Amino acid sequence: MSALAAPFIGDHYRVTAPATVSHPVPGPETFESIVDDYQRRLYGFALRMTGNREDAEEIVQDAFVRAYRALAKMDPQQRSELRLQPWLYTITLNVTRNRLRSKRATNVALDALADPDALLNETQEGPDQPQHIVDRAADMVLVEQALLQLPMHLRAAATLRFIEGRSHPEIAEILNQPIGTVKSHVHRAVRILRRILGPQVGRIVPSDRPTAAEEEE
Amino acid sequence: MTPLRCCDVERLWDEMREGVQPRREHVLAHLRACPECQEIYRENEGIAYCLTCLPLVDPPQSLVPKILDHIKATVKIAAPDSIARVESPIGRLYVAFRHTGITAVAVDRGEDEELVLAKLQRRLGRGLIPSQAPQWVTETVAAFFQTHRPDLEKVDISELTPFEQSALRAAATIPPGEVRSYGWIAEKLGQPTAARAVGRAMARNPVALLYPCHRVVDATGALHQYAYGVEVKARILALEGYHSKGAPPQAARPPR
Ligand SMILES: [Zn+2]
Repeated sequence: MSALAAPFIGDHYRVTAPATVSHPVPGPETFESIVDDYQRRLYGFALRMTGNREDAEEIVQDAFVRAYRALAKMDPQQRSELRLQPWLYTITLNVTRNRLRSKRATNVALDALADPDALLNETQEGPDQPQHIVDRAADMVLVEQALLQLPMHLRAAATLRFIEGRSHPEIAEILNQPIGTVKSHVHRAVRILRRILGPQVGRIVPSDRPTAAEEEE
Repeated sequence: MTPLRCCDVERLWDEMREGVQPRREHVLAHLRACPECQEIYRENEGIAYCLTCLPLVDPPQSLVPKILDHIKATVKIAAPDSIARVESPIGRLYVAFRHTGITAVAVDRGEDEELVLAKLQRRLGRGLIPSQAPQWVTETVAAFFQTHRPDLEKVDISELTPFEQSALRAAATIPPGEVRSYGWIAEKLGQPTAARAVGRAMARNPVALLYPCHRVVDATGALHQYAYGVEVKARILALEGYHSKGAPPQAARPPR
């Protein structure tokens, strides 16, 4: 393969969805295990969408309560036909949307997940911390904040696509949108992120591209 | 073959990552010759890489017990709705409501009242306490029969599944006097293959009339089904100025 054949079409990222958990037919009786299995990823999703731990916690709580009530009202056939994972994501997204909409009125400042100054201070005190770890933490804050600058529907598309590594059809199901719309939202999200992060990307991404193994570190 | 333009190549980046793009070879050929697009691809890969590097933050340990407590609490305090009888041009209605809005409307078909209440309670997942209809309830119902456009702010469907809610909202966009197909709603929701699920959502609509599931018919224009019988559906539609049989074609407006 020549150097230019496919030099930047990476396959070292998660482009496949994380393994889905299979369940017996979901219902109020099995709800506790559903909470156990999904709380972590729904929290992660809500956190990326809001940039705020407190919001994410409340969103996940609210989403599970809604899911429980809805399940309790479904008949057995509806339960057996339910696609649990996308359904839970859709509920979480709806709760997030309502919450952000009502919050926007009061214009709450973004609460970055990691405070760059705190991180710098912490890490600089330890004598063994190599400089690149310090830079890396600060870089991740930049990426986080860039994501939060996207309009919500683009942020949802980018989060599901790149952070969670979901396929276009999966995202379409979660967002209740045609696949073509999903693709165009992903495209627009990347364009905006490129505008925000463009100058930094070269620095953040190591020039000796990571192999899958190195990326684990 | 027509060579791809830069903007097309840019748009195909995400699909190229999946490795299944049918125009893959063309895109690669373009990339080899176009430094600008190479740069864009490189930057996009960088963006995607940065996003995958974001740390996965774990929820606090206390989250699961909090969620379970929350569920227990809300299930216990799922306060009953009130239910009242309201007279209407199509006969007596049962209307369930609480302070957030009307939660159910059922047409009385002479069934045993207990049976009707039991069915509604099952659908709502809450108890129902017989009471008098307050003025805002009778006014909302009356508005449906006067203008066929009731105030949906006074109708609470927030407890339904997200899909049911969006299907009903789509149904509410059908103008009075017209009908649309299940497929039309599915299309509108961006899920063109979900016509059957739409049918189910309409069949389970707890707030008959106010969310106009009666304006949704099958692809041939046949009234298909209604929770209170097809005759009642035809009667409501007739009140709105729609006639399913013998009406001139443009008035019938068969869906799609
Ligand atoms: Zn080009």
